[in-house]
Amino acid sequence: MTGLVFDIEEFAVFDGPGIRTVVFLKGCPLRCAWCHNPEGLSPRPSRVKTIALCVECGTCRAVCPSPGGCTACGACVPVCPKNCLRIAGQSMMPQDVAARVLPNRALLEMAGGGVTFSGGEPLLQADFVIELTRALSTVHLCMETSGYAPEDVFTRAVDCMDLVIMDIKLADTREHRRWTGVGNELIKRNLEALKQSGKPFWIRIPMIPGVTDGEQNMRETAEFLRSARHLQKVELLRYNKAAGAKYAGLDMVYAPTFSEKEPPQTLVDIFKEANIPCAVL
Amino acid sequence: MRRTLTPEEWTEVSQRIQDPALTLAQRAALRLRLFLERETISRDMAERIPARRTLEAFPDIYAPGEKERLTAGRYVHEQGRVCNISSDWDGVLRNGLLPRRAVCTPESAQCIDATLAYADRYCDADLSRALREGAQTFPEALKALRILHFCLWASNVYHNTLGRFDQYMLPYYRADVEAGRLSEDEALSWIEELFLSFNRDSDLYQGMQQGDNGQSLMLGGCDSEGDCAVNELTWLCLTASMNNRRIDPKINIRVNKSTPPELFVRCTELTRLGLGFPQYSNDDVVIPGLIDLGYSLKDARDYTVAACWEFIIPGVAMDIPNIGAVSLAGAVDSAIRMKLIESPDYETLFQSVCAELRRRADELESSIQPLWIEPAPFQSVLMADPTHDVSEGARYNNYGIHGTGLASAVDQLAAVRRVVFENQTYTARAFLGALANQFECAPELKSLLRSDTPKLGRDPECESVADTLLDAFANAWEGRRNERNGVFRPGTGSAMYYLWHASELGALADGHMPGEPLSANFSPSLLLSDAGPLSVVRTFARPGVRRVINGGPLTLELSDTVFRNDDALAKTAQLVRMFILLGGHQMQLNAVSRQALLDAQTKPDQYRQLIVRVWGWSGHFVQLDKSYQDQIIQRTGYTL
Repeated sequence: MTGLVFDIEEFAVFDGPGIRTVVFLKGCPLRCAWCHNPEGLSPRPSRVKTIALCVECGTCRAVCPSPGGCTACGACVPVCPKNCLRIAGQSMMPQDVAARVLPNRALLEMAGGGVTFSGGEPLLQADFVIELTRALSTVHLCMETSGYAPEDVFTRAVDCMDLVIMDIKLADTREHRRWTGVGNELIKRNLEALKQSGKPFWIRIPMIPGVTDGEQNMRETAEFLRSARHLQKVELLRYNKAAGAKYAGLDMVYAPTFSEKEPPQTLVDIFKEANIPCAVL
Repeated sequence: MRRTLTPEEWTEVSQRIQDPALTLAQRAALRLRLFLERETISRDMAERIPARRTLEAFPDIYAPGEKERLTAGRYVHEQGRVCNISSDWDGVLRNGLLPRRAVCTPESAQCIDATLAYADRYCDADLSRALREGAQTFPEALKALRILHFCLWASNVYHNTLGRFDQYMLPYYRADVEAGRLSEDEALSWIEELFLSFNRDSDLYQGMQQGDNGQSLMLGGCDSEGDCAVNELTWLCLTASMNNRRIDPKINIRVNKSTPPELFVRCTELTRLGLGFPQYSNDDVVIPGLIDLGYSLKDARDYTVAACWEFIIPGVAMDIPNIGAVSLAGAVDSAIRMKLIESPDYETLFQSVCAELRRRADELESSIQPLWIEPAPFQSVLMADPTHDVSEGARYNNYGIHGTGLASAVDQLAAVRRVVFENQTYTARAFLGALANQFECAPELKSLLRSDTPKLGRDPECESVADTLLDAFANAWEGRRNERNGVFRPGTGSAMYYLWHASELGALADGHMPGEPLSANFSPSLLLSDAGPLSVVRTFARPGVRRVINGGPLTLELSDTVFRNDDALAKTAQLVRMFILLGGHQMQLNAVSRQALLDAQTKPDQYRQLIVRVWGWSGHFVQLDKSYQDQIIQRTGYTL
């Protein structure tokens, strides 16, 4: 079985305990207005260009077999004299991923770390992820998920992890649909399942100015989490001001309709009052 | 406050210094005296630590054309002057200059007199006494160090290092604290002021590029018994450097398997500031390596670094740790081009690489003699044995040889082994044909070599290739003696040769194209993809480095985001510590934002303060030549 991986990042320091290697899985059912990993959205390979290096020499266009629309076939990648093209999304087998990750197992262990599955939404390739957890069973395993997946899929994947990091973006269903493209009913049900699973978990909330960082959203989210025994902490993620940087290289447009410049509120105390450890990343 | 000599002054001074009746040593002594006499004493009332250079330039000791005549047929290393060594700061500060004056050469005595006369003009009785008889307090020792270091620059030697500062300053600090004369805060403020003073004149001390001035300072390590020598000053110096945020002095730290993890965290906080230091050296690897080369146990335990990363011994070594460089990438390329067709297997090809390394060693060895070095009567005063001119030699007279493009050399060998010998995808003839026309007729081979053949830092088969290549490099120099009866110390540093040697290369068997730079020092190829800091740290902690221990660090660029909070910073410190525990010999880190570097090229005015580690020193990014800027940007590729 193969999966589509768009990056394997060594030495990730914000994606779980210790030093971690993150496997980024391609494809996401959500379309969050603030997404900073646009190359992970499509479930198919995407061509990425580092625009700052491109000199518009046209060599890539000369070899393109489908000038009508990019199919991410990769024909242009090796011919670029500036090396500014790459294909995000490689088809890999579990053993390919293991071959990349496991040589560093001793270091990951020494540093109290492990492997984190991220994306995209890793549960869009849940069967592959579960296969991966078997190939990587000797290291600490963690999954970063939006929680947007069929309940049985979610539960099966959670069972294979040592730790789950789940996003709660917006508590209100209509707002959730407005800013991410999907409702949050499924996410809430999966959160309940996670709370009942006995699996240690962290919750992450992106602080998008004027969207998710309001007091009401934080309070309602804290309410969901009250008395969740295996919740270890809540992390509030700063809005990534460079979120838009990669869009042009994918021939996509970043058009946030919230105010990027406004400093987000960091309402850490709301969680602390509910006896939930909370930190800003 | 800066001034230039008037044309009349210049002529007058030149005539006096360049008097044909004087020996070069006499001229150097006279030059220092005249220089210091003409310096203006300008002291800001708030400054407790003296000396500021006011003369931008001063005549040389040679009459026009004389140097060329004298050095004809001789090998002139860089400027032909003593450089890149470490003074006996410990002994000079403890005993002062007068005991040395009693035993040194007349020219050295003149230099001492000139230095004392210059210092006396500051009307600071403590300073004058400290310089004559030895320092008694911490402030005296700092002021005396500053004057001596300042005069060293004035004496026309360069790359003047500061040695193991936290060791030789410790007795004064402890005595003052015990006597209640000095608090920790006061000591910190004194250190900060001293460190700032090294930036006052540094624009006049240009090396290969602005910033390459050799004002490196060592902290930590072990004492003469091998016990941990980290002390109160180690921590205070790190704090001072953080508070100052200036590129001088360049901080180095000696660590080992028993270094407290908190020290790595503190050092990482300094790295976070983006100054490109501290640079780490691993006692557990360096000391045994130096002993193998013939250094005594006591001296090996006292090692510090030269301007960049070359290991030297304070006070007793006149090593020339950067006398030449071998292009490892070039040697492998030559062997491939000349011998691949007739090599029945990989081992035979590798024997040709060994022969090529020996041939290049022969060539380099004969090109660096007879050596010419100008006398250095003032630097001689600051050596542990001041009785003769240090330009003639000292206890250690070893020559360091850089090895450039190690990663490319390894990757070329691994690629040929796989493509030609193992998989036989290409015949030797077809492979060489593709190299010769720079892959024009074989673009698919180029793409295969650039991304798919084994690369050091990613593919395990490169690790043994690296070990055997390092061994072959060491063997090529083993048993040779230089004309001063020193040994040769091959090493993993590149200095600026990573650009110079790259410019001599065509297309290479690792897919490298003409015009592309090589990686700096002991670092993965710029073509490395699909690997990150963990793989690089693991595979570059190589046992083979013990025999090539001239110095030359793994140079790693980390995104500045990994320093964002304390938790992440502690993980970065752990990465460094793992490299040391795995047996890595030396490491330097850059905290950079690739985007900021790209922006800085187009908007230099907005990035005047942006500092980067170049090859063994930190400089302002926008002041570098573009080729150096571009290479650094390429290095950030695999951090993303």
